[in-house]
Amino acid sequence: MSGDNIRTVVVVGGGITAFSAAAALKRRIPSLEMTMIATKPAPAAIADRVITTLPSVHGFHQDIGLTDEDTIQRAGSDLRMGTLFEGWAEGSPAYVHAYGSYGVPIGGVAFHQLYLREGRAAFDRFSAAAQLARAGQVADVAEHGLQLNLPRYGEMMRAYAEHLGVNERRGEIAHVQLRSDGFIEAVGLDNGSRLTADVFVDCTGPDAQLRSKVGGPFEGWSKWLPCDRIALSEEPPVKDVISLDRASATADGWRWTASSTASSLSGHVYSSAHASGEHGGESIELRQGRWRDLFAGNCVAIGDAAVSVEPLEWTNLHLAHSQIDRLVSMMPGRDCAPAELAEFNRQCGQEADRIRDFLCLHYVCSERSEPFWKDAGTISPPPSLSHTLSLFRERGRLPYYEEETFARDSWLAVLLGQGVRPRRVDPMTDLVSPEEAERAMANIAQSAQSFHVTQPALSPPDLNPRGAR
Amino acid sequence: MGEDQRLRVVIVGGGTAGWMTAAALTKLLPTRCDVHLVESEAIGIVGVGEATLPHIRAFNERLGINEAEFMAATRATFKLGIEFQNWGKIGDSYIHPFGTFGRGTGEVEFHHYWARQFRDGPAPGAMGDYSMAVTMAYLNRFMLPDPDPAKLESTFSYAYQFDATLFAPFLQRVAQGLGARRTEGRIVDVELDGESGDIGAVVLESGERIDGDLFVDCSGFVSLLMGRKLEEPFEDWSHWLPCDRAVAMPCKTQTALTPFTGAIAMPAGWRWRIPLQHRTGNGYVYSSAHVSDDEARDALVAAVEGEPIAEPRVLKFKAGRRRRSWVGNCIAVGLSSGFLEPLESTSIYLIQAAISRLVELFPERNISPLDRDEFNRLIDIEYDRIRDFLILHYHATTRDDSPFWDHVRTMRVPDTLHEKMELFRRRGRVAKYREGVFLDASWIAVYIGQGIVPDGHDMRADLPSSTALANAMSALRSEIRQRAEAMPDHRAHIERYCPMAEAA
Repeated sequence: MSGDNIRTVVVVGGGITAFSAAAALKRRIPSLEMTMIATKPAPAAIADRVITTLPSVHGFHQDIGLTDEDTIQRAGSDLRMGTLFEGWAEGSPAYVHAYGSYGVPIGGVAFHQLYLREGRAAFDRFSAAAQLARAGQVADVAEHGLQLNLPRYGEMMRAYAEHLGVNERRGEIAHVQLRSDGFIEAVGLDNGSRLTADVFVDCTGPDAQLRSKVGGPFEGWSKWLPCDRIALSEEPPVKDVISLDRASATADGWRWTASSTASSLSGHVYSSAHASGEHGGESIELRQGRWRDLFAGNCVAIGDAAVSVEPLEWTNLHLAHSQIDRLVSMMPGRDCAPAELAEFNRQCGQEADRIRDFLCLHYVCSERSEPFWKDAGTISPPPSLSHTLSLFRERGRLPYYEEETFARDSWLAVLLGQGVRPRRVDPMTDLVSPEEAERAMANIAQSAQSFHVTQPALSPPDLNPRGAR
Repeated sequence: MGEDQRLRVVIVGGGTAGWMTAAALTKLLPTRCDVHLVESEAIGIVGVGEATLPHIRAFNERLGINEAEFMAATRATFKLGIEFQNWGKIGDSYIHPFGTFGRGTGEVEFHHYWARQFRDGPAPGAMGDYSMAVTMAYLNRFMLPDPDPAKLESTFSYAYQFDATLFAPFLQRVAQGLGARRTEGRIVDVELDGESGDIGAVVLESGERIDGDLFVDCSGFVSLLMGRKLEEPFEDWSHWLPCDRAVAMPCKTQTALTPFTGAIAMPAGWRWRIPLQHRTGNGYVYSSAHVSDDEARDALVAAVEGEPIAEPRVLKFKAGRRRRSWVGNCIAVGLSSGFLEPLESTSIYLIQAAISRLVELFPERNISPLDRDEFNRLIDIEYDRIRDFLILHYHATTRDDSPFWDHVRTMRVPDTLHEKMELFRRRGRVAKYREGVFLDASWIAVYIGQGIVPDGHDMRADLPSSTALANAMSALRSEIRQRAEAMPDHRAHIERYCPMAEAA
């Protein structure tokens, strides 16, 4: 037999990752008796600090019963359409990575293959979302992420968890008591109290205060992702919110600015070995990598506690949400049997590794002359990324990977944006004549362009709640 | 592109694999290849895979083949799934449907609710009662699926049961219409380039020599190029899939024209039943270590339902695949690349998968190892996934009535399968993948159909009260039945849509 169902869960952490995990678990599996230990926020927990999210945030909200009214109007979020990448490849103009499709197939042939054969305009000309972003506009019909107003969003999520019946305790973790089989028996708090549970969910940020006690290998990614520091600065809100955030390459890494009506956050991600001095702002150490097993014994790490990765492409909160989703749909029995954890760990691990690949892509396909970038150009990519790169460079093909976060068009936006071109195009393109391809591409560019003209600019307060939820 | 990019593609063998390849290449890469197919009428075709998977529809569509025309020409019937009899234990039966269970729209997969009710009562009945495809199949109904995902009529898919010996000639007309050349003759020699080891030409009995840049081996079990000439090693899987022979004998279609294929477990293997418009294919796939050819033939003859229209014919094979399907400038498509018994109608699917990959990865004259390696990687995934799925059918059983079933019930299965079964047994979870054939619903159908009811279920399936659950389940079952009963009879639909031409 598989043992009983899990009855009690303790979530530990002091940021939106923990609040979200507690709310989602309680909402989606109401029979769980949930306690959240609200520790002090971890400064290095990037998922809890970065205001920029991917479009997947909406699905997470929907699954836990939150509407746009809750998450946008009340929580004061702004819509964002994409990121402008500046200076990553000298000789290539800045490019937009937006979400949703870039072009549509022409005559049954993949759009990007014909683009490679005929295309002269920038690839992002064929994305309606990218065109909107460039024009500083937003429209909720195109795929978009959010810029969160972190304090308000966090409060909303925390109140929601409480409203759903999560018991909140305050305190700091003083010690973790292990059973002889490596399971966590209890956690002791600094106020002297002690909590037991069937499963412990560690959302304490990169220190992984619980998960690190259970042990097992942590796979470091420093040979693939060369930055090891972030300098964060919060700035006053800007007057005109733009729907396009920026990620600009610098001499020793990259910096971003993301602005919302509530605040503006900028950060500088860099390699301490290459930096000429300290960058201003709050300095955070970054040890990129992941636990080989996110779920070990009866302890599961979520968010930065599980996977520590720089905020390039805004995957930190996305990873946390996705891990929470997988936990809900794969909640093991009380005995946390290895067969059940293995599938969870396989999925979470593949997902994280593929995000690592996508981020590493930005570095290995860069083109700059500073020492940091010269070194980045010599990185030997992980085998799965090498596989992708070699097939793309040979014939513009992108192999499918299970648990991939970024769709093919996202890979293309970065590859083509950074000037990577295949040696040859797909022979199937012969089926479409140059005239037909050019005509179709002109139409696609035209409709992507006119999309933002016909869409009135929407500011979040005017947004209607999206459809029936 | 310049003429230098036109490859001379020589296809060796003119069965289903050969003509499917020829039709696809001439249609999809007309500027990149000149297709030359060599076949010998003296060599029979195996004509495997009279039953197909829904993927074949995409193949036909891509080639611009009209469905009704194709079905009339190949005397085809519709197929909603496969009925497995006597597998989990003698007396059991279930259908592995092309489609989902339940409405296919909920957050929690349907079988979790079913498993909950199965344990807690009231008895929910068979899983198949909650599948549109299964209910239609048992009622002998058919209509094309509805594209509206909100409707129950969208929850099924379909394939065909057809005469494979008529499919090849049908495709031959397509391919030759698109410019494929055909040469009749028996190949007596295969010439290799001394330096590269690539195939340079095949030589016919007549002395004719056919040069090529790319050679597609569709020669069947003989594996003339890949096996005999290039000696690519064969990975033997017969310790997991011990059936190594089949005896086949068609009969007239005199009983029901079922919109499903039958797979009936036998003492040393299993028997197929594939109803076409005019005849029904029958065969006994068996392990020669456990039953003699004579006994197998007698068992088949005794079981066949209609008047036999041919003598029983024995085929020999071995489960497994070549280590690589693309070596040098030679690509094996179909039986020359490997064999998996037709238990889940995968033969034509595997041909199609190889052809699709070849089109997607079509090389230049100077073949890039990247194309080749990617092709081999993708074909391996297909074979390995199907292999595990087939082994599951044998291993998930309580049958102990013969040495054959004792062997497969107790054998050590691949770790990949062992882990999948353990995961399902505990809480009904299915190891997730999107690449390769047979996704979640197929695994669930076979697990539960063969008696593996999980010990636990997804905790979210506990949300409805037991009364609410029982009511919803029974309402769903009635609705599915009503919808199926409102559909046309399978034979009536065929007669209106795609009747075969009168037999000459």
